[in-house]
Amino acid sequence: MAEQQLVTFSLGSEEFGVDIMRVQEIIRIPPITRVPKAPTYVEGVINLRGNVIPVISLRSRFGMDRVEETDLSRIIVLQVQTKVFGIRVDAVTEVLRLDSESIEPPPPIALGMDSQFIRGVGKIGERLLILLELDRIMGGE
Amino acid sequence: MSQDDDKSMEVDLGEFLEFYLLDSSEQIERLGAGLLQLEKEGGNIGLINDLFRSAHSLKGASGTMGFTPIVAMTHAAEDLLDRLRQGKIEVSLEMIDILLSVTDRVKAMLSQVEQHQEISVGFEDLVSSMKALLNGEKPAEQANQHTVEEREATLDEFVPLDFCLDQSESAKLNNAHMMGHGVYQVDVKLAPNTLMKAVRAVMATQRLEGMGTVIKLLPNVEDLEVGDAEGFSLLVLCDEPVEEIQRELLEVSELVEVVIHSYLDGEGIVEETGVDATRLVEAPALEPDMIKPIVHQKITVVPKAAVPVSTTAVTEAVVGESNTQVHTIRVDTVRMDNLINLVGEMVITRTRLVQIGLDLKAQYQMDGMVTHLNEANVYLGRLMNDLQESVMRLRMVAIGTVFSRFPRLVRDLAKKTGKEIELVLKGEDTELDKTVVEVIGDPLMHLIRNSVDHGIESPEERRASGKPELGTITLDAYHEGNHIAISISDDGAGLDLAKIRSIAVSKGLIGEKEELSESDISNLIFLPGFSTAEKVTDISGRGVGMDVVKKALNNLGGIVDITTRKGKGTTFTIRLPLTLAIIQALLVEVGEEVYAVPITSVLETLLVDRVNIKTVGGLPMVQLRGNTLPLISLQEKFDLPTPETTNSEVFVVVVGFGDKALGLIVDELRGQQEVVIKSLGDFLSNLPGIAGATILGDGKVTLILDIGSLIQDFLVTKKN
Repeated sequence: MAEQQLVTFSLGSEEFGVDIMRVQEIIRIPPITRVPKAPTYVEGVINLRGNVIPVISLRSRFGMDRVEETDLSRIIVLQVQTKVFGIRVDAVTEVLRLDSESIEPPPPIALGMDSQFIRGVGKIGERLLILLELDRIMGGE
Repeated sequence: MSQDDDKSMEVDLGEFLEFYLLDSSEQIERLGAGLLQLEKEGGNIGLINDLFRSAHSLKGASGTMGFTPIVAMTHAAEDLLDRLRQGKIEVSLEMIDILLSVTDRVKAMLSQVEQHQEISVGFEDLVSSMKALLNGEKPAEQANQHTVEEREATLDEFVPLDFCLDQSESAKLNNAHMMGHGVYQVDVKLAPNTLMKAVRAVMATQRLEGMGTVIKLLPNVEDLEVGDAEGFSLLVLCDEPVEEIQRELLEVSELVEVVIHSYLDGEGIVEETGVDATRLVEAPALEPDMIKPIVHQKITVVPKAAVPVSTTAVTEAVVGESNTQVHTIRVDTVRMDNLINLVGEMVITRTRLVQIGLDLKAQYQMDGMVTHLNEANVYLGRLMNDLQESVMRLRMVAIGTVFSRFPRLVRDLAKKTGKEIELVLKGEDTELDKTVVEVIGDPLMHLIRNSVDHGIESPEERRASGKPELGTITLDAYHEGNHIAISISDDGAGLDLAKIRSIAVSKGLIGEKEELSESDISNLIFLPGFSTAEKVTDISGRGVGMDVVKKALNNLGGIVDITTRKGKGTTFTIRLPLTLAIIQALLVEVGEEVYAVPITSVLETLLVDRVNIKTVGGLPMVQLRGNTLPLISLQEKFDLPTPETTNSEVFVVVVGFGDKALGLIVDELRGQQEVVIKSLGDFLSNLPGIAGATILGDGKVTLILDIGSLIQDFLVTKKN
């Protein structure tokens, strides 16, 4: 039975998960340089040890309200194919294992956010975990 | 051959393959360029010698690598050039055409080799054309006619091979003759580059053993394995009809041709020539007259003699190579890029050190150690400058490497369009960054196609307007300040401005009443969706417009400009930055943001009172030494938040690209600094006005402005 390791994080009251194999590292929020004329969900670019990488605001990508940065705010640096980028999240919660059996396809009306970004919904007891479709996060609408 | 042997051979090959490919493509380029020169200047002994040498080293190298088809072609070309060198034949247009096709074919073969494919490009037709030329004949245009004659000729000339039979074998042969069995000499030709030739021979032998007796195989299995034979011959006793033997043998893969003769102690009669039909489709050029070397020559070990490369030739080529290549080494570009990245990181680190030194000085003014540190920093700075300059120079490549492919292009296009065009190259030694050289080829090619197709008129039209029938396209590269300029000029009819205007109006690109200067009208052809070609030709009307050319150049931080005079010609001028990796930049502040402006684009900086900024047609302008300078506010342009307080004075950075100037309104100037250009990645690559990013001494990312695109962008907004 296939099992996945996920890094989970929160945005507001929702909990999300990304495949741990895609996660390069998790960092605190460094100074972010705004990029004019970039898509609105691109918060800016950061210096990651000499490399310039874009940072996506997941809140803006999912049409959620902006919030102030807190001590828990983090950037999860992901590698999708050859592309490296960061996603800004409210807090990173834990690393957990999930059977692929407990993953269900995204519901047709998806929790008030665009369903194209959702790969599925994982169930852990009472908790619902939204699994992200990373290929879609960065890239066209 | 065992499986292991086979593998080790492949590994050996792979090690040298890259070097071989590099070298061969260079030789091919040299051959191609030389041939065009030969066509222009006629028989010049030095040139012919060069060509001969190129063909020779190509042949040698290909022989070493075992690429038989390339060897066959270059060998024939070498023969031809050798004869030319000795003055035995004259240079002819046909010869140049054929030799040029040889370079094309070899290029195609090399690209197959590069992609690890088997070479399947045909070559025999060219080889026979070259042989025909060698014999002072016209190239075989009607190959069929020729081959019929050839075949008749071989009929008389067939000489049975001496199979060197020992006693028992001779006895078998005699016995067979006595008993009236069929005795045949079966000549088998292998496909070029056949691996494991001995296996093919053994398979062929086995099949024949099923129908009769094989007395002897020539050359023997061991020789076949190590040698570079193109085929082998069998002496066979068999009562089956020859067609049957043939059919049986052609079923063995890689056997492309089977010729069977009756073997009667010296009296041979051609019974049948069989050619594998399916092979013929793959290699259409497989003319039967290629059998000639096998059939004709009265040498015992025929297949070896038929292979046109000798070991001495190979050694010579290698020796010649080492003599000429002493001054240069080849370095993998990845390694070089790595080096440049490291230098870039060092530049950033040095900037940080300087910052720390200054901070320390502010804090411990009297401390001698701080002074030492700062002195060392200054010295380090000088070293870094030198290091950086040397490293950047490594990346500089003469633009001639790009230009060299155009004479051929123009020649072919001119032939196709029936125009007479001469391409003049100037400034080939002008050096620019390798990354630029790599990508500049396509836009240049497009502009040249455009000049051939739309610029130069037909010979009749030219005569009618009193011009020489021979049109000229000039390709020139030169330094212009901190930029490099490449111009493509033709002496053709010039742009039809009225037509361009009416097309632009009809396509809704401009308003009907709009007033435009001549240069504005010429520049309309760079707008997307504009194409004046009435008929789509395969030269320039490929659905790729001039807008694509412009976009490609803009991506390189370059711009393109047109000047045209009716009846006199058109000139396209491309201006490009010299290097793309490390630049001097002026750091400016706009609100809370810091941007880097490439210093090469900065003409001057001004402090301007806000009251002096006038608005003309909705656009801010300022008077500068009697001229109006258009301004753009970076804060508005980049949708930055409006500052709460405004100063009565603003800084204006005057930037220029080519002959266009523009003022950028900024809040503060921060000074000049060296910055390493970093890409923003695929996601953010095509943002207007942003060329890239860099990391400053404090570790923060700063965006580098793309002045070229800002100016072009501005010109477009002005038009609308």
